[in-house]
Amino acid sequence: MISRLRYLFRETGASIRRNPTLSVASVITAAVSLLIFGLTLIIQHGFDNLLAQWEGGVEMIVYVNAGAGEEQRLVIEEALGQQQNVTIEAWSYCDVSCSLADADRLFAGDPVTRGQLNELNIPTQYKVVPLDATQVEILRGLRDRYLELPNVYSVQLAEEQLDLISRLQGFVSTYTTGLWIALMVAASLLIWNTIRTAMFARRREIEVMKLVGATDWFIRVPFMLEGLLQGVAGGAVASIAMWFINGRWTAGVETFPANSGMTALVVVDGYEWRVSIIVIVFGAIIGTIGSGTAASKFLDV
Amino acid sequence: MIRLENVTKRYTTEVVALQDASFEVAKGEFVFLVGPSGSGKSTLLRLINRQERPEEGAVWVAGRNIVDMPSNRIPQLRRNIGNVFQDYKLLLNKTVFENIAFALEVIGKPKHVIEQQVPAVIDLVGLAGKEDRFPDQLSGGEQQRVSIARAFVNRPLILVADEPTGNLDPGTGEGIMRLLDRINGTGTTVVMATHDRRIVDAMRRRVIQLDRGVIVRDQARGVYQ
Repeated sequence: MISRLRYLFRETGASIRRNPTLSVASVITAAVSLLIFGLTLIIQHGFDNLLAQWEGGVEMIVYVNAGAGEEQRLVIEEALGQQQNVTIEAWSYCDVSCSLADADRLFAGDPVTRGQLNELNIPTQYKVVPLDATQVEILRGLRDRYLELPNVYSVQLAEEQLDLISRLQGFVSTYTTGLWIALMVAASLLIWNTIRTAMFARRREIEVMKLVGATDWFIRVPFMLEGLLQGVAGGAVASIAMWFINGRWTAGVETFPANSGMTALVVVDGYEWRVSIIVIVFGAIIGTIGSGTAASKFLDV
Repeated sequence: MIRLENVTKRYTTEVVALQDASFEVAKGEFVFLVGPSGSGKSTLLRLINRQERPEEGAVWVAGRNIVDMPSNRIPQLRRNIGNVFQDYKLLLNKTVFENIAFALEVIGKPKHVIEQQVPAVIDLVGLAGKEDRFPDQLSGGEQQRVSIARAFVNRPLILVADEPTGNLDPGTGEGIMRLLDRINGTGTTVVMATHDRRIVDAMRRRVIQLDRGVIVRDQARGVYQ
């Protein structure tokens, strides 16, 4: 087993050294495609932050003054209850900790504003799911009525911010997804071509190996490992670039005005680590697919 | 050890490399395949190690018909067949030791086995002291000895040699034949394709003569003719 591993790594290293230009080109192409893939995930997560409050079909949020007691909230709940199954399908109360969690995502790029919010001053929320979200006039009527209730800080409707963000998210998502898929195919094909060239360069060795009784898998695995390493290296480079770009973007957003609407469009909650792992795993997959198919197809050199 | 039954191999409808060839080679035999270029000698050797498959007939090696052998069993078959070529097929970036060890390494032999078997076979082929040389630092005869050592290091049942003396001067060729004879003496079956009349006549072993893909003579202790 040890001698096989030694052979595997030695042959993989020799193959990479024999073809450094193509190996570097493969790594760069893989890195660019994986970087766009990673940034797509990061941007999507940023949009998710923007829309976090509106998950689950919520169309209206009633903000309650900080410090409002249970009895005071009962007035609001009674008003909501009257509309249950009339215009409202469901409503839920987002208490202080829930509202602080929402604030974490909403003000991710505005630590100053987020720092000013705490258990004592953050408005809690009632999140309302209407029976029919298309009846905007009914929702506007409800908003006007709830604004008059005591201890209601404000009432927001999804239509006021959701529509634009959703359209923007859809646009960005469609084009970036198309781009990273195309680039991943290109990266995989380039790795495929690199392995094909490496196999051609070593055709004499492969011929000898086959004649002395090496199995196809034994011959194939060093080439597959080479492709996998190129994919992983591409993923690692993409991760580093992604961290750099995300860091620069986050620093830039912190200088935006608080009411710019962009403060949630950053990722600082550790999601970058998950994306880094995903990007490296995807790199390994495209590298293995590219090299595996080439190693199988061109074994009869 | 080897049996061909009515084997026909066509490369195209016009090019028939072997036509209805049948013969049997016993364990430990030494057989010369003779005939002009294009008579089917190399094709016959390629059929024995399953580099080619016949259109018709059966090829039996070590008791198994290898014509329909699944591809995952072929490596096991080839571990029992050593191959020697006219152009040696040595790896130029590896030393003598590494070239021979490579044959054991790629079939997963552990390091201690390699370290034990390779020097022994280097001694056998008369290259002791030249383990660290690269192929381009060796003469043609020495390169062929390395090729034979690589073919024999795994102690195969059969050794097939395709014009092993074709690139060598007569004196060197005789040395190679003595080596192959010595290997045959260990019980390994040797099948050798050759054009070399002098060698065939000197050795007086079984001769199978091919002409345009047809076996025209099969003679024990034969000569080239």
